[in-house]
Amino acid sequence: MDILIYGTINSVTLALYAIGFAMVYGVSRLPNFAHGALYVVSGFITWSFLNSLGLNYLLSIILALIATAIIGALIYQFVLIRVRGMEISEIIASYAIGLAILEGFRWGGFKGLTYTLPAFIEGSVEIAGVSVDYQRLLVVGIGAAVVGLLWLFTRYTRIGLAMRGMAQDERAALMLGIDSDLIAVVAMGFGSMLAGLAAVLLLPLGNIVVEAGYNILILAIAVCIVGGLGSWMGAVLAAFLIGFAQILTVVYLGAHYQMVVALLAIILTLILRPSGLFGQQKELEERV
Amino acid sequence: MKFKYFKMLVLLLAVVLMVLPARQVFAAKPIVLGCPLSTAFLYGWAAERGFRLAVDEINAKGGVNVKGEMRPFAVEVIDTRDLEPGVPVSDALLAVEKLILDKKADFILGGPIRSEAALAAMPLLSKYQKVSILTTGVLTPKYHAMVAEQYDKFKYCFRIHGEAKNLVGEMFANFTELKEKYGFNNLFIIAQDVSHARGAAQVMNDVAVKKGWNVTGVEIYPTGATDFSMGLLKAKQTDSQIINIWMDMPESAILLKQWYEMQIPALPFGSTLAAAEQPGFWKATDGKGQYTLCNVVNAGNAPSEATPWTMKFYNAYAKKWGIEPEGLGSSSSYMAVYVLRDAIERAGSLDSDKVIAELEKTDVAGVYGRLRFDPKSHQVIPATDPKEGAVGSILQWQNGKRVVVYPKSIAKGSIQLPPWMKMGK
Repeated sequence: MDILIYGTINSVTLALYAIGFAMVYGVSRLPNFAHGALYVVSGFITWSFLNSLGLNYLLSIILALIATAIIGALIYQFVLIRVRGMEISEIIASYAIGLAILEGFRWGGFKGLTYTLPAFIEGSVEIAGVSVDYQRLLVVGIGAAVVGLLWLFTRYTRIGLAMRGMAQDERAALMLGIDSDLIAVVAMGFGSMLAGLAAVLLLPLGNIVVEAGYNILILAIAVCIVGGLGSWMGAVLAAFLIGFAQILTVVYLGAHYQMVVALLAIILTLILRPSGLFGQQKELEERV
Repeated sequence: MKFKYFKMLVLLLAVVLMVLPARQVFAAKPIVLGCPLSTAFLYGWAAERGFRLAVDEINAKGGVNVKGEMRPFAVEVIDTRDLEPGVPVSDALLAVEKLILDKKADFILGGPIRSEAALAAMPLLSKYQKVSILTTGVLTPKYHAMVAEQYDKFKYCFRIHGEAKNLVGEMFANFTELKEKYGFNNLFIIAQDVSHARGAAQVMNDVAVKKGWNVTGVEIYPTGATDFSMGLLKAKQTDSQIINIWMDMPESAILLKQWYEMQIPALPFGSTLAAAEQPGFWKATDGKGQYTLCNVVNAGNAPSEATPWTMKFYNAYAKKWGIEPEGLGSSSSYMAVYVLRDAIERAGSLDSDKVIAELEKTDVAGVYGRLRFDPKSHQVIPATDPKEGAVGSILQWQNGKRVVVYPKSIAKGSIQLPPWMKMGK
């Protein structure tokens, strides 16, 4: 039972890390290597609104998510749009922005235990004899809701449908009058907001540290590669595969192999099925 | 007219007399202390603050008397980042070399902080014949063992803070007490996947078995891990009564929060448990740090009255930095500067061999007790009585305060158990 409970929590956590990255790539084919930095940015903005400005916690979170979305959109509009379509340049530019943000925080003295966010609900509950805290249960609940809402958003809203259109065939979408740059900006903003949402949900479990930006980027990439770059549902499925594999590894092999699971998953996927579980990017090449 | 000239002469003389001593101090070439530190981490920034406090105090009193010439200390810090996951040891070595060659450091103080990096830096210090005093991080016993084994090569290397074997001894003194008082016998070990912690976990395991403890499990977590639930559940399922933690990464705060939330009936007893050492731990965990024990390696890193100098340092640090001394590296870094100053003054020179000879003769009542180096291994001599040697400090978080519970000679309280443990026993 403990494997089931904590495996689910770990999987939803990984899904939250990755879903924003998967969304941006899915819509605009842009590998946003600043994703981890945006996660940290959102944490620090929430902390600042809460502690420096003394705002209400919920209001701080909402404002931080909006601010993170705007930052993401600005990154796209002023930097990434110029290198769009040049994959290596996109990676270098976005990684450089992420690096500048994270190292900027470090340089600015954002370190130590000062930067923490309070849990939404204190306390814990026993489920089938396994003790779980409410914050983690909330992570699972909100994580599931996010996936559901995202599914509905991409099927029943004009912007969501435009995003799907872009994801399927950008040229065809252009011919149908969809402004690809506008949708890409929106996707980047939305993906950044999802990174921010992951941050405000998960950072209350620990404290805000700059290094988290790098770790989350690696995990998000691992999940997306296994799930298939560009596939949101693939990312969710991959999160569950890696999440449970990590927990089983801790139980049966040892905790120090935990990180190896994610990296091994990348290597195995690239060898056996480079397009990932649901990816379409290289399917044709693989067939050829 | 003559009187006017006389007045001008007196005025000129007064100005010269006022300016001359100051100019002598500021014109003298500073003694550069090169500090390779992982500054984004507690053990790095705490050490830097310790150095700067001591340097400011010494410089305010005129500096260091080098054969009659008063020379100020200057601090040069380079961020080695060696505590960060994925940063290669070679980066820390480059930082040390840069301090020596570019910054013209006369002495190396502080780190590198990670044991792997400090061990790798030893030949470098030997090559450049630079005297180094480790003051933070590095706990591996191999460091001073290498000095003892190859004295002529590694005689430049000193360590002024406690090392893993001392820490293990101090922890077992407490475990034995808990065994006698509550009948504890099951020990679960959690360590970070880094050299000193893995080594310490192995030593803990071996010593525990020899002392008749039942080691119920050993979990090694990778640096940066953010979920410890399965390890904690293992501890619970195996009826462990103490969880011994060796973890200096900030994510250890998550482990301790999880322990509290899951109400694991085993006392968290850490060493180099960076998160729990810091004064901000209580607020950061919303009080869930209650009952956590950790070894802060030396007295002065938590409030106690080990020596008359302890609280003097403690208060001076708090006044200068707006925060109490935060953990390993604070008091030892502060003392290293004073010990080095004394050695330089006795040697009357910055010459490495002369300073080494004087450092070996060090015998001073410092912030954390009597400070002496073993002349063969250059490790500070430990003790449980501050009159005999360098004393450690084990603290427990009790109602928002860091209460020193060991050694008894400086203790301010005794170990408390969480209510869910008392009920279970």
